[in-house]
Amino acid sequence: MNKYKLTVSHAPFWHDGDSLFQMNMNILLAALPAAIFGIFQFGASAFGVLALSVGSAMFWELVMNMVSKKPLSIGDLDAAVIGLMFGMMLPPITPWWVVITGTFVAVIVGKMIFGGIGANPFNPALIGMAILMLSWKAFFDFDTSLVDFVFDFTELAPLAAIKFQGAGAAEMFSVGDLFMGKEVGAIGSVFGLGLVLGGIYLILRGYIRWEISLSFIVGIIVTAFIFNMVNSENYAGPLFHLFSGYTLLGAFFLMTENSSSPVNTIPMFIYGFLGGLMIILMRNIGSYADGTVLAILLLNLVNPLIDNIRPKALGKGENNA
Amino acid sequence: MIKRSFFSLTQPRLKYDLLEADPKAPESIPIPPNLILLLNEALDNTKSIILKKGDKVKKGEKLSLYKDSTEYTISPVSGVINVIDTYSDDFGNKATYLVVRNDPQQASGEDIVKYELTDDIEVADQYLRTLPGAPPLKILASKENTIQTLVIMCTDQDILSTTAQYVAQSTMEEIKEGVRVLKRIANIMKMCLVVSQDTNMQTEFDGIQTFRVSKNYPSALPAMIMKDHLNMILPAGQSPEDVGVAFITAEAIVSIAKAYRTKTATYEKVLTVIGKDGQRHMIKATIGTPLRRIFNAFSLHINEKDRLIIGGPMKGFATYTHHHPVLPDMDTVIIQDRDLIPALSDNACINCGKCIKICPANIPVNLLVRLLEADQYEEAFDKFDLGSCIECGLCAYVCLARIPLYQYIRLGKHEFLKLKADA
Repeated sequence: MNKYKLTVSHAPFWHDGDSLFQMNMNILLAALPAAIFGIFQFGASAFGVLALSVGSAMFWELVMNMVSKKPLSIGDLDAAVIGLMFGMMLPPITPWWVVITGTFVAVIVGKMIFGGIGANPFNPALIGMAILMLSWKAFFDFDTSLVDFVFDFTELAPLAAIKFQGAGAAEMFSVGDLFMGKEVGAIGSVFGLGLVLGGIYLILRGYIRWEISLSFIVGIIVTAFIFNMVNSENYAGPLFHLFSGYTLLGAFFLMTENSSSPVNTIPMFIYGFLGGLMIILMRNIGSYADGTVLAILLLNLVNPLIDNIRPKALGKGENNA
Repeated sequence: MIKRSFFSLTQPRLKYDLLEADPKAPESIPIPPNLILLLNEALDNTKSIILKKGDKVKKGEKLSLYKDSTEYTISPVSGVINVIDTYSDDFGNKATYLVVRNDPQQASGEDIVKYELTDDIEVADQYLRTLPGAPPLKILASKENTIQTLVIMCTDQDILSTTAQYVAQSTMEEIKEGVRVLKRIANIMKMCLVVSQDTNMQTEFDGIQTFRVSKNYPSALPAMIMKDHLNMILPAGQSPEDVGVAFITAEAIVSIAKAYRTKTATYEKVLTVIGKDGQRHMIKATIGTPLRRIFNAFSLHINEKDRLIIGGPMKGFATYTHHHPVLPDMDTVIIQDRDLIPALSDNACINCGKCIKICPANIPVNLLVRLLEADQYEEAFDKFDLGSCIECGLCAYVCLARIPLYQYIRLGKHEFLKLKADA
């Protein structure tokens, strides 16, 4: 009876046009300024680490797709984002096998065995980092890693410096230098300005949730400020903490990873703030120089609990009382 | 199609379309040789059917399948029944369609059926259920729920459509007449009228409150009108009539007014037809006209794999055939080009939170969809607010992973009701 077949599917028949590819593409784009700055600052080896990290992360996802006989999913660029985030957290001089092992842990253990995109309870890149940091601690000492480099600024990793020399060491680093990337650190985490710009871009585009980033920064500043007020000899000031280590990378790229962060408004604020608080606690009281990785993983762990605080749905409970 | 804006710190806003200032009168489509009528009752082999192929029907005659049927349809023409067959909708619900061959020779004066309409809502329900606009007479006449509030919709529920606005604007006097009829025949305490915020429609009524709804979708959906204007929260899992509220379109009110004036039914349905170029055609067609006739009249071409949307881009349904008839409640028909059909995916939810931000009913869609994917309908209903959904479709519109969320939810509700019925 019909001469031709019509497409039959279900409402809504419109879509706002967004997709996973778009989102991940934008995240990659937003991370580029910081990553490129890292390459210029630390040279070809940094580029090698980043390239290997992105490439191997996508490779591992491809392998896992094939082994588990699932449709290929590297086209959504999620593995590329994990790879780039992971690479940006590494020191510029990192052995190739460390990078490949790290992305293996990140993509396979951190994401794919949980069921792939959206199913990971923890930020995959951080899982990779945490395992590597526990396994081969020596490679993550920025001072040793960069010992052969000559810079025109203080050649000390800021957080390690205050850890071992006390808060007085913070005076060796001006906040402006830290913000503009004149510091020793991981490839993608040194250029504060680039990270902030990328973060603001993602917030404006609606790809990350501003509530998390903002409350995270507030958490860092408030906690560090209180520590600094109580004992300024032992604890560095809030701005120092904000612009050193992985803090800004965490604020805009790691804390905000979709699957492992809350989506309701109040939980987002709690999650972000607690994240900031935990990092400063770990840096000031714990034994790690930079607690960002473990602090965020800890928050990922409590995310499902926090995210239970949600508004009553229409027509449920006491809404009409 | 409205795409997301480059900056989207806030949620996207879909706006209702407003009727142009000086709308053209709808173009009439001639009555076709064959009309298709839908009867909301499945064919049952165990019962003897009273309609037969070849039966002559009169214009206005009430047609039901069985002696004890409560469902009926009204033949808009005099003619002969050609086909009786099963129709199933997108949820597999069975209904029956009749094809009536129009016979203009037969339609002389005395062949038109007149109704004995008294001032009784049950009598009205006997004849007027399938008038243009589909008056909710079944609900109004129902003994189970007493309807206290009747909301007259002079605005469209879905975006793109302007049918309801046009009918309301052009027939305000008849709406008033219909309101008087309804007040007389039904025991309704409160009637109110809903118009769009930006319209300049004159809605001066005695004893009728006018609500102005915002032009942001989904403010004109029943649950939102109840929440924003009637101060009633629709309890989860219930329908407006359960709490004594019924919604009626302006067109239905007008049809009732005409029916009571002339003691016959009317059959001309106003609808907005939107072609691939986005151009709107306001038309008037007899109920039962196959859509193909309308497309031919405006030389709207349909290609293989295009989509034919009935009822608006957010809440409508897609039909598989261009023979689909004009129905009493059909306000909008959209032809969507195959290149504009957005791709869906079988991705898992990535927890981006866009649905949470946009959901007008505060449903944890990100969690709900995980249960619906696993067929956990009861738990979805009890713990994850499946019943609270007002079915606006916004979650699926913004879904980054392109999960057909709205379809999951509708299916979930459908399956949940089935489970409850079986229990």
